[in-house]
Amino acid sequence: MGLLTDPGAGQGKFIKALLQYYSKICIILYFSGIIWFCALAYPPMNASTYFSENALLPGLVKSQFHEDKLASSFHNELLDEMKKYDNSIPYPWLLAKFKQIGLDTYTHNFTLYSPLNKKEKYSGKNVYGILRAARASSTEALVLSVPYRPPVSVHPTTAPSIAIMLAFAKYANKEKYWAKDIIFLITEHEQLGIQAWLEAYHGVTCGNENTLDHGDLKGRAGAIQAAINLELHSARIGQMDIKIEGLNGQLPNLDLFNLASKMCAKEGLYHTFKNKGQEYHRDPVKEWKYYFKNLIAMVATQATGIPNGNHGLFHRFGIQALTLEGFEQSKARGSSKVGFVSIGRIIEGTFRSLNNLLERFHQSFFFLFTPLFRQIHLHCISSFCVMLCRLYMPAVCLIAGALFIKSCAKWFKFEGSTNEEKRENTHEQQEITELKVDKIIFIFLLTHFCGVLIMNLPQYITLICDQYNYNASTCIFYTLSAISAVFLLLPYLVPFRTCERSMNMLNILCMLELGTVLICLAMNNFSLGIFCAAVSVPVALLVNPTSCRYYSVLQRILWLLTHPLVVLTTVVLVNTYLMFPDVKQKEIISRGLDATQQAIVYSIVDSMIYGNWMFSVVTSIFIPNWLCFWCIAFSDIKKPKNLLTEAKKTN
Amino acid sequence: MSVKTSKKEVEMDKLQNSVQRIILMCSLAAALRYWLMLSKYQSVIANHVEVSTPMNSWKRVSEGLYLLSRNIDPYSGDLLHETPLSLFFYKVLLNVFQQQIHWMFITFDLATGILLFATARKYMSQLYKEENANKSTFSKDALQYLLKPTDLIKSPFHVLLAFLFNPFTLFNCVGYSTTVFHNLFLSLLLFSMVLGIPIIGSVSLALSASMSFYPSILIIPISLYHINIFKSVTKAIIDIIIFIVSVSLITIFCSHYAKDFGYLKNVYGCILTVPDLQPNIGLFWYFFTEMFDHFRDLFIYSFQINATLLYLVPLSIKFRKQPFLLTLALLFIITVFKSYPCVGDVGFVLSLLPCFVHLLNYCQQGFLVGVIFLIASSLAPILWYLWIYCNSANANFYFGVTLAFAIAQIFLLTDVLFAQVKREFILEHGKERKVNGEEGILCLE
Repeated sequence: MGLLTDPGAGQGKFIKALLQYYSKICIILYFSGIIWFCALAYPPMNASTYFSENALLPGLVKSQFHEDKLASSFHNELLDEMKKYDNSIPYPWLLAKFKQIGLDTYTHNFTLYSPLNKKEKYSGKNVYGILRAARASSTEALVLSVPYRPPVSVHPTTAPSIAIMLAFAKYANKEKYWAKDIIFLITEHEQLGIQAWLEAYHGVTCGNENTLDHGDLKGRAGAIQAAINLELHSARIGQMDIKIEGLNGQLPNLDLFNLASKMCAKEGLYHTFKNKGQEYHRDPVKEWKYYFKNLIAMVATQATGIPNGNHGLFHRFGIQALTLEGFEQSKARGSSKVGFVSIGRIIEGTFRSLNNLLERFHQSFFFLFTPLFRQIHLHCISSFCVMLCRLYMPAVCLIAGALFIKSCAKWFKFEGSTNEEKRENTHEQQEITELKVDKIIFIFLLTHFCGVLIMNLPQYITLICDQYNYNASTCIFYTLSAISAVFLLLPYLVPFRTCERSMNMLNILCMLELGTVLICLAMNNFSLGIFCAAVSVPVALLVNPTSCRYYSVLQRILWLLTHPLVVLTTVVLVNTYLMFPDVKQKEIISRGLDATQQAIVYSIVDSMIYGNWMFSVVTSIFIPNWLCFWCIAFSDIKKPKNLLTEAKKTN
Repeated sequence: MSVKTSKKEVEMDKLQNSVQRIILMCSLAAALRYWLMLSKYQSVIANHVEVSTPMNSWKRVSEGLYLLSRNIDPYSGDLLHETPLSLFFYKVLLNVFQQQIHWMFITFDLATGILLFATARKYMSQLYKEENANKSTFSKDALQYLLKPTDLIKSPFHVLLAFLFNPFTLFNCVGYSTTVFHNLFLSLLLFSMVLGIPIIGSVSLALSASMSFYPSILIIPISLYHINIFKSVTKAIIDIIIFIVSVSLITIFCSHYAKDFGYLKNVYGCILTVPDLQPNIGLFWYFFTEMFDHFRDLFIYSFQINATLLYLVPLSIKFRKQPFLLTLALLFIITVFKSYPCVGDVGFVLSLLPCFVHLLNYCQQGFLVGVIFLIASSLAPILWYLWIYCNSANANFYFGVTLAFAIAQIFLLTDVLFAQVKREFILEHGKERKVNGEEGILCLE
């Protein structure tokens, strides 16, 4: 306890150094955080990948799948059948096939009551068959799922994956070695179907009540250990893309990813991640650049918190899942295309490895990023700790640390000094530096109340819109923008804008809150955390209660740029520009604004149906915090009197 | 004459004002609690391991009451860890409140807050009187550091505020944890301690000791309070005797009510040997999940001695003149080191801190402790979620957070205790710390 009771600790050397150099320390911390993050893409910074779960024994068995002719005939039959069902799933055919193969076959009905318009109702149907394991009771299960896409769908077809799934089911049903049930699942309506099926399987509701009625399942297998989602767009595949990003930025276990890529490599299929394969560069700078682009692509997808495939909804239930998306065209030169045999063998190999699992995936915990293909960092030996703490969190912690350092310095500057002054001369200082604790807390709570108000607004708006038959989505967007604009006037409610000490106290509170939130966010969704930290921290560090008018205007403008709405619009605009580089600027802006509106409405709908927490977190935490800083930027501090008098004396 | 009446009027005004403020605060706090209890967050809060432990979860109590009503011994399984007396007490309470559980919890929480307010008020005025009486013995330039009359009015309110609007106590009450009742008896104990009534003090001490065992060490500060503040050794002896008598009465009642002594194993056995390793904010669970079985006994002994006896003697000797501070210190130590702590305990101890407003100037770690508290309490539920639901973190992370939380509490306690030592020194020797003409510094050796 010597550290604690050291009497010099209060205003000791350390604190003095901190007070003197804190701005430099903050700058250094911020940039070292950014550099750390960038360096993550450099291969020597990552440990190379290997399997940490020995039980998987990937690719050790001889593949025996040979039902390719059956798959082709299934494919042709299905194509014929699909023509009869324009907009729904051809479930009689699928049911018949599953039954012929000899699986326990069930259908599952679900209904969605549109969260924005209670009168609208959509219903859908999933079909699934369960292969009961020969060597174990039904305590554990694996899932092979395919999203069914009718011919009118905007997405590319997935009919070949249904064909290969049926062929594989036929093959697997004859084998004796299964120790886990395999569920073959065909879902409708993209992510809605899989969400409803998972909710029904586990008997829970993830989103709002009365939005997605998940219905009931008649047949179940055991606890699901892993899931593979297949999206093959053609019967002959030239490139297999592995997709992993899930809801709220969750990622599957690395072993599963490695397993899938190893199986693809074994069959000689060109496999990619984020549409990029493995490349070797002699020049380390070029190599870093290449992998850094991959890293940014992954961060961009993960930060949105929206799953990029049906696998993303499994993660919430502790199920490791990924999507294999097969394209006919390959980017790699000279690579060959593979047919149903190889794809079937990839599936066979993957499932036989998963069949070997003795316990849940647990060894390599977080699957964070794969900037590199084969070089994915993950260490075994209960290593989540080592990996997360050593590789990723420092980047965010360094950036958030800048906030803590600055608030610490401010605390000692104002609180520490006032204590000293009190001891020196009590009466003179007290009147000026009276701390208005109750008012500070009031403002702090008021801003958070505003945030909660915004969070709950969409529900009430939809109710009102229902009554007057307005379009809910545009209503929500314009109300949100209007309310955000009204809240900009909040600083004029702050009663202590002239009190430097109180403003600084509020500033300290806000910085601590922001720092804590960033760390918490990064624990859940690292990409979002690092993005928010990189954007908001430098400006937050600049916001100070000041008496200089120019500086105060500058910080208001800068801080306005970090408003969540402004950031969202900017991101969407940049994204639109990158997607359509040839379109005129005016067109891009109008498209971008449309897309922003869509993004907000979708995030609200997602939070109601899937329990995506992006909208709630931004409105209930980031906007209040932003408003607090906004109040600080509007501080109106008089110049200290003694300085003025001193200046007069010198004159 | 007129001056006198005006003085009286001012006092009456103040009193009325304070009563109004108390009522306002209490109704606000009650409204907040009621709203949270009826909202969808209630079950989320009640199921958090930080709030309900095996010792205090209301679910287990209601299960036990049900079993009792069916004439099944509730202590035959590993379900209930409350004493038969508390079961009887809850049964009576449920009848009185006609099954309105939320009002029951809110009433008891508010009562605790008001008792703490009264305690703080009484304690502060005692301290003020004592300091004024000893004014002549203090160094002259240190007189400005004495308690001010404004502190006497302000800090009891701060105690009330800190108890009613502390998120820890708020969650504790909303999560229906029986720590609400434990806290009530503890506050009753503190109140009667500062009033100097041995009977109520010892009986409530016996009650809280029977409920959660650890408070039994508080008998020492209570006796010290009688000896050193009220200067009466007889009262202290009466106190101890009543404590022993009421503990034995409680034991007799319990064994009658439960029909045998089987409850001892389920209540005190569970507190002392820690068989249920469900994670909580304490330090026991992690150590004992990792521990080899043949070392278990050794470490059980050392952990329990650490929680009860290790600091008791040195602290009692050092702070025998400040028994209230000693009580706070012991409560802190119990909260950090007991086998099944919950946020309700932490909130209770934290809300007593405004009583020590005179030590604030000497504390150095306030900022550090505040930041650790903030980060630890916001990370804990997140890491729990990642560990249990997402399957992506593990126990080490959650334990890291609880360790940081414990460290923050220990830092805070050390800081407060050291501040008391420093203040004593300054009052005695003045603020000048010159040693042979050079600036000296205080160290603790």
